[in-house]
Amino acid sequence: MNDSLIKTVVIVGGGTSGWMTAVALATTLRGKYKIRLVESDEIGIVGVGEATIPMIQRFNRIVGIDENEFMQATQGTFKLAIEFVNWGKQGDRYMHGFGKVGTDLWTVGFEQYWHKMHRMGKAADLGEYSITRMAARANKFMPASTDIPDSPLSEIAYAYHFDASLYAKYLRKLSEQRGVVRHEGKITSVKQREHDGHVEAVVLENGERIEGELFIDCSGFRGLLIEDTLKTGFEDWSHWLPCDRAVAVPCASAPALTPYTRATAHSAGWQWRIPLQHRIGNGHVFCSEFMSQDEATGILLANLDGKPLAEPRLLKFVAGARKLGWNKNVVAIGLASGFLEPLESTSIHMVQSAIARLLEFFPDREFSAVDVKEYNRQTRFEIERIRDFIIMHYKLTTRDDSPFWQACAAMAIPDTLTEKLELFKSHGRVVRRENELFTEVGWLQVMQGQNLVTDSYHPLVDVQSDADTFEYMEGVRAVIGKCVDVMPDHAAYIARHCAAPRS
Amino acid sequence: MQQANVRNIVVVGGGTAGWMTAAALSKILRGKYAIRLIESDEISTVGVGESTIPMIKLFNQVLGINEDEFMRETKATFKLGIKFVDWGKLGDKYMHGFGKFGQDLWTVDFYQYWLKMHQAGKAPDLENYSINRMASLSSKFMRPTSEMANSPLADIVYAFHLDAGLYARYLRKFSEALGVVRTEGKVVDSVVREGDGHIDAVIMENGERIEGDLFIDCSGFRGLLIEQALKTGYEDWTHWLPCDRAYAVPCELASDLLPYTRATARPAGWQWRIGLQHRTGNGHVFSSKFMSDDEAASILMNSLDGKALAEPKLLRFVTGKRKKVWNKNVVAIGLSSGFMEPLESTSIHLIQSTIARLVTFFPDNGFHQENIDEFNRQCDFETERIRDFLILHYNATERTDTPFWNFCRTMELPETLQRKLALYKAHGRIVRENNELFTEVGWLQVMHGQGIKAGGYHPLVDLLEEQEVSAFLEEIAGVVGKCVNVMPTHAQFIAALVAAK
Repeated sequence: MNDSLIKTVVIVGGGTSGWMTAVALATTLRGKYKIRLVESDEIGIVGVGEATIPMIQRFNRIVGIDENEFMQATQGTFKLAIEFVNWGKQGDRYMHGFGKVGTDLWTVGFEQYWHKMHRMGKAADLGEYSITRMAARANKFMPASTDIPDSPLSEIAYAYHFDASLYAKYLRKLSEQRGVVRHEGKITSVKQREHDGHVEAVVLENGERIEGELFIDCSGFRGLLIEDTLKTGFEDWSHWLPCDRAVAVPCASAPALTPYTRATAHSAGWQWRIPLQHRIGNGHVFCSEFMSQDEATGILLANLDGKPLAEPRLLKFVAGARKLGWNKNVVAIGLASGFLEPLESTSIHMVQSAIARLLEFFPDREFSAVDVKEYNRQTRFEIERIRDFIIMHYKLTTRDDSPFWQACAAMAIPDTLTEKLELFKSHGRVVRRENELFTEVGWLQVMQGQNLVTDSYHPLVDVQSDADTFEYMEGVRAVIGKCVDVMPDHAAYIARHCAAPRS
Repeated sequence: MQQANVRNIVVVGGGTAGWMTAAALSKILRGKYAIRLIESDEISTVGVGESTIPMIKLFNQVLGINEDEFMRETKATFKLGIKFVDWGKLGDKYMHGFGKFGQDLWTVDFYQYWLKMHQAGKAPDLENYSINRMASLSSKFMRPTSEMANSPLADIVYAFHLDAGLYARYLRKFSEALGVVRTEGKVVDSVVREGDGHIDAVIMENGERIEGDLFIDCSGFRGLLIEQALKTGYEDWTHWLPCDRAYAVPCELASDLLPYTRATARPAGWQWRIGLQHRTGNGHVFSSKFMSDDEAASILMNSLDGKALAEPKLLRFVTGKRKKVWNKNVVAIGLSSGFMEPLESTSIHLIQSTIARLVTFFPDNGFHQENIDEFNRQCDFETERIRDFLILHYNATERTDTPFWNFCRTMELPETLQRKLALYKAHGRIVRENNELFTEVGWLQVMHGQGIKAGGYHPLVDLLEEQEVSAFLEEIAGVVGKCVNVMPTHAQFIAALVAAK
């Protein structure tokens, strides 16, 4: 037995990241570590309607969450894609669907055959070769079914929309059942060890002192421990991602329950639309340099599908990353570790992957510097590549209807992103670096959806005759069409399996 | 606009690299491109007994080759791993076996549980949890079988030892049947196009001019096109891998047909032993700075398992890589793209992965630089990580018996390798980056096998009671042992395969 094991882990802050961390640690650490979570009912959490990506299913599996129960408890709906409206240019509409596009044919990826046929005017829209995109368009949903092997129905990849505060509440219940101790109250001071500056305790308003050897900072934007206490530093990315405010408001549901998130570009930012069972979450992300709060709120309220159900709430942020995700004995998870706007629904995923990485590099009281360094290297790699992906949405536009879009189209972008775009422009190739989050088809859908034109396609596509290629692609499209026909309606699926109790 | 496609592909050089390339391209390009291969019977190929890694099965699969037939044609035997003798210190023996170790237990990798128990003196050596390594110890072999669910017999992972000359001949037959045209003769010159410096044609000794749009340089060390014509440049790695010569010689078979390659460290290098069906290939890789040719030859000749079947042949090389594997319209495949000693049997794998990468980035006549740059970036990454893995074998040693080993033990390491070692030394963690060729257990076996001590283990290992872990480890070792008992010997397995013709 290692005699320098950590005994107590203290999580500072509830909310989505705090409770996700608590439940994951409580489950994996099997009750051998004390886990305390400090939160204050007085501090509101940022979470509004929250959209996720399919990776969350892995988290649910590890934690042992039943899908239907979880959907009921969080007013959840299913998500097959994100629809982007008015991004490449006004009037444009495309989806970034989860899962595959097409089916592999020979040596070369499906999209390469599509590139060629598309140039010849013989291919349908890229979305017609994706089961998730076609199902999303038809407001249909079902989970992947393995009954028919090789059917696109076995390839339905999906995620969820849910109410983030209900999710936190749900995870809190699970965490407490698994031994996590919650402390109510505001933190008034943080005690550091003299010789090395490690955090040794946080002190609450009521004087209670909570000690631990490992602290997880889930306190949100401000970074109570990682920044206020440890002065870790923040790398500002607002020159690439200039939006710095959001106004959020829920509204009444629309008649059709869409199984996708919508992101509509406005003149100085964009608006999200996240359908839940009982209402729709909306928010307008904007850049204060180009738009006033009043104007942003006006645009938001003018673009709701139903009656607003609350006063619009303002959030302020700066896009960027904490210089170190892990500093001394503090690991920042969630907004405390960095912020990227929710354009590709990556916030919860980054929480989850930080937790997985923390388990991988779980420390003892020695806090080995090489392990921490490797954790930080991997954390940084992940967020930088997601950052590039998000920047691309702003960069690939021909909109010139507002100073904001003119600035985005003209901005200098990171080299890593330039390389990706150049490679695509030449022959439509997309290379996924290391295990960066977004796969080739993710990049492809956004690049193509925002009109990045390729000069050519993979030469080996020509090894097969055009007639064969055309016939093959038509076959793929027809099968997807038939599959979507037999899928149930999204609302009907929810009603049958996981409807939240009506309040 | 869509560029015109390449029409003529010219492969310069036969041998393993040339014929593997010709075979793969003729299969994948489905007769839509003219493929010509130039080789001269007068120029001998380097290949002796050649040892591979399991990835070669994927190559065979792409070609659609029948494995039994391939083994008969190339006089091949099976390979479960590499045995390293005298590396960490004189008298040491360990194996780098293919495939996995143990079974997953909870959150943490199997080997972390083993590390804890081993550090406490409560678990035997790592090899007990590997079917490949235990089978090797008793010279046993069979192909994996999934008949019994969850049995280690399903986890057997293998590669081959083959006769490289026969392999080239076999692939030649395959390629020619698919339309590859072979031209006999020596290339004496190349014609560089004005303007962009692409190669337009090569000129043969008899004056024939062979034109092409895409040239694959498989001419070996000298790099006829990539270096002699295009002056691409070479990055020298001898300060990390100082061996620069090898003597090779075949000898008669020993009694036992080993299902593994053996690499025995020598005073200024190491010696390979690769058993084939009909003979054993041997070679002594050494550093000319630390040992004379004569001494190297005599060490080799005095340590053979059987009677030598030829005079020892001297090979010279410089470890390193071509600055660009793809330059203009020339792609270097095989030794022309760089050289790393065969210590981990990576030569054929590098050929194969370069071919796969060429297919991914297959050019049209525009030869767009973005694609070429990405191709080169990926090649560089792959070879650099293999290089680090090889350097590890030399550096992780306590040997002080010769100036050569003193040099290796104390040399400055690449930063990437330092990082790997530091992580392992802290808590035994191993991070595989970006699909680098060698996996966590590959690194583990060599680091552990050569005496690097992990300074602890993953703290979450302690989530399980020691008794529970101990029982789990014993169970695995027990099952592996029983499985090995039922396996046939390698010799029996090969005899049946050869007889089945």
